[in-house]
Amino acid sequence: MVLVGGREIAWREGMTIADLLRELNDPFPYPVARFDGRAVTAQEFERATVPDNVEVFLVSLVAGG
Amino acid sequence: MGRVTLKEIKRFGYTRPDIRNGYADQTLCINLSDSEIAIKPVADKMKEIFVGGKGFDLWLLWQAVNASTRWNDPENAICIASGPMGGTPVYPGSGKSIVTCISPTTGAVMDSNVGGHFGPYLKFSGFDAMEVQGKSKTPAVVFIDGVDGYIQVLEAEGLPDLAHDRAAVLTDYFANGAQKDISVVTTGPGARHTLIGCLNFSWYDQKRGRARLKQAGRGGVGTVFADKGIAALVVRWHPVKLSTNDPADAETLKQVAKLHSLEILDQDPKQNHMSSVGTAHLVTIMNDYDLLPVRNYRYGSHPDAPLMGEEVFLKLFDKGFDGCWIGCTLSCAHGVRDFVPVSGPCKGQKVFVDGPEYETIAGCGSNCGIFDPHHVVEMNYYCDTYGLDSISVGTSIAFAMECFETGLIDRTQTGGLDLSFGNKESALELLHRMARGEGFGRIVGQGVRRMKEIFAGSFAADPALLADIGMEAKGLEFSEYMSKESLAQQGGYGLALKGPQHDEAWLIFLDMVHNLLPTFDKKAESLHWFPLFRTWFGLCGLCKLPWNDVTPADNKETAEPAKVMKHVEWYARYYGAVTGKEAAPDDLIMMSERVYNFQRVFCLRMGFGRREHDAIPYRAMGPVTVDEYESRVERYDSQLKELHNVDIDGMGTKEKMALLRRLREQRYEQLKDAVYERRGWTADGIPTLATVKRLGIDFPEVIDVLKKHGVA
Repeated sequence: MVLVGGREIAWREGMTIADLLRELNDPFPYPVARFDGRAVTAQEFERATVPDNVEVFLVSLVAGG
Repeated sequence: MGRVTLKEIKRFGYTRPDIRNGYADQTLCINLSDSEIAIKPVADKMKEIFVGGKGFDLWLLWQAVNASTRWNDPENAICIASGPMGGTPVYPGSGKSIVTCISPTTGAVMDSNVGGHFGPYLKFSGFDAMEVQGKSKTPAVVFIDGVDGYIQVLEAEGLPDLAHDRAAVLTDYFANGAQKDISVVTTGPGARHTLIGCLNFSWYDQKRGRARLKQAGRGGVGTVFADKGIAALVVRWHPVKLSTNDPADAETLKQVAKLHSLEILDQDPKQNHMSSVGTAHLVTIMNDYDLLPVRNYRYGSHPDAPLMGEEVFLKLFDKGFDGCWIGCTLSCAHGVRDFVPVSGPCKGQKVFVDGPEYETIAGCGSNCGIFDPHHVVEMNYYCDTYGLDSISVGTSIAFAMECFETGLIDRTQTGGLDLSFGNKESALELLHRMARGEGFGRIVGQGVRRMKEIFAGSFAADPALLADIGMEAKGLEFSEYMSKESLAQQGGYGLALKGPQHDEAWLIFLDMVHNLLPTFDKKAESLHWFPLFRTWFGLCGLCKLPWNDVTPADNKETAEPAKVMKHVEWYARYYGAVTGKEAAPDDLIMMSERVYNFQRVFCLRMGFGRREHDAIPYRAMGPVTVDEYESRVERYDSQLKELHNVDIDGMGTKEKMALLRRLREQRYEQLKDAVYERRGWTADGIPTLATVKRLGIDFPEVIDVLKKHGVA
């Protein structure tokens, strides 16, 4: 199970951030996702796999220094 | 360290006024040439037009200087102010100060914002702003005792030269056992020997038992400070409570402060991790988006960048509260405890390093081809303690390194240093030589603009190439973001009043990543609204980070997520709760627009502030070298074909580069046209008469400047 934005999504082997967004049906262009102490940028969403039992945070804005 | 003696030259008693709705209603004027001290009243009109903070600074500076004043003339003034909300202990990010003066690197008006406790303590001591003019023949310490109501000018002997030591000694000297009551402004030896000196503003970290330092870095404000013979400014104040700033509506203030504070506590761990790693979280994100400057802004990414990423700094940073102002829940001023430098005067000693932040990591690290976090920490430490701006240091060394690698300069000119990209030892040695004012260090310490002149004039380097790769505009070194692929960010840098610093506009993600600014009109609108809202923080004594480095959970569902309007509305309520003047978000923009346009006119008065001064080097717009073009050949080729409808079949790289350059330079000029029109400026970048009248800044002296420049 993966928790994202308060919703529980069933986890499956090889699940990526992009898979997660498709399941959420969320088209917002998030630049970054965070989970497991890592920051993953959008270019990696199709490749970055999500482990089971984590909470994923979708970052909607990167604002610079 | 020798014995420290402080001999009183002048003592001035005063009756401290009560703060009323965020204002002391008076400013402090000190002339070091004759140790004269005076207090000036703040009229209601001054508050109405200039609000406070940077606005007050600019107005005091305007009156202090004339059109021919140069940075090292006695009348140039160091002006420091917080703002009406500065010193509020419950609202995150409410302890900022702004410094202004005529800059040694740009010749125009410089402003630099900084954390620490000085500005709020100064206000609570009875002064919304202070200006220091004149020059002292001997090292001078100015002590403002807001508790007992007097000011001293003291002749100093035996003070340590390094900023950390000096701040610690003076904190203990004036504390009377309560170090938290003291804030010190000082610089270091580097400020005396370069034009890129910074100021260190202290705050006392009670848990760690030490004076911590934050930097007003940009534009050589520390160099002006040193040139005046100022060893330090010290203020003493206590207590700091919500009531100290006398908010007009304390209940509303508490409510809105609680909303913002709780949101940060809830959302920051889910978003940018500012409270654990600060702006260091940006390093790998910028790298992944090709925005991290590498090798003097040639490239935007490097495989070794994660070696300096947030996970590394999370381990290096000392754990604990790191708010540079009381009660800030963002608390992003992290530091490294027990760091042991491998070079310089503190070699082998354990020191505490305040930082690094993103800018220093990128500037002194990746931009110099270096990906060693320990090196960056050491550069950070020495920049601060020498009193040098780590952004200008990084960008200047990166430029010197590219000149060295390109063969524009060689070891005979660098004093034997091998300045190849990635050479950590040489970068550190160059920094030490800059601080001592020795040989090639003295040249680099003058900043990129003067290096270009010296390399071309004395070393016969190609001036055209130097112009393309020397990353400065208006005389200020670029801060550490790649702007090549974002026209809006090119404007954010080039059209910034003081020079290319991102605190006016950071539009890269909006423009390049989210593609929300596809037209010139949209870019121009953003280059109107964002610089103005960011300016507003500097008027009020606030930090901008709580505005948009953490956002409400539902922010993405709002009409304009980038503006974070929920927070803008909170800030409007906050302003009203402190000052008693009700304000809507648009009113905040209007406040800034007055000051922003006044600053543009001020630049014009000093001989700058026209279209020609908004030029940027081509490296900020596109690929200067064949190597740069070919490293991103698919991107550039596809832009030529798809964006500009060019048939590139059969074209060589140099031909494509020339074409791309022409197109990009044209677009930058078109952007200027659009932005000037949106801002109500002439095609030459000067505010029109109608604009200054609409804003209520049509004072006779403003009109006079406009008339002299053909605007009637």
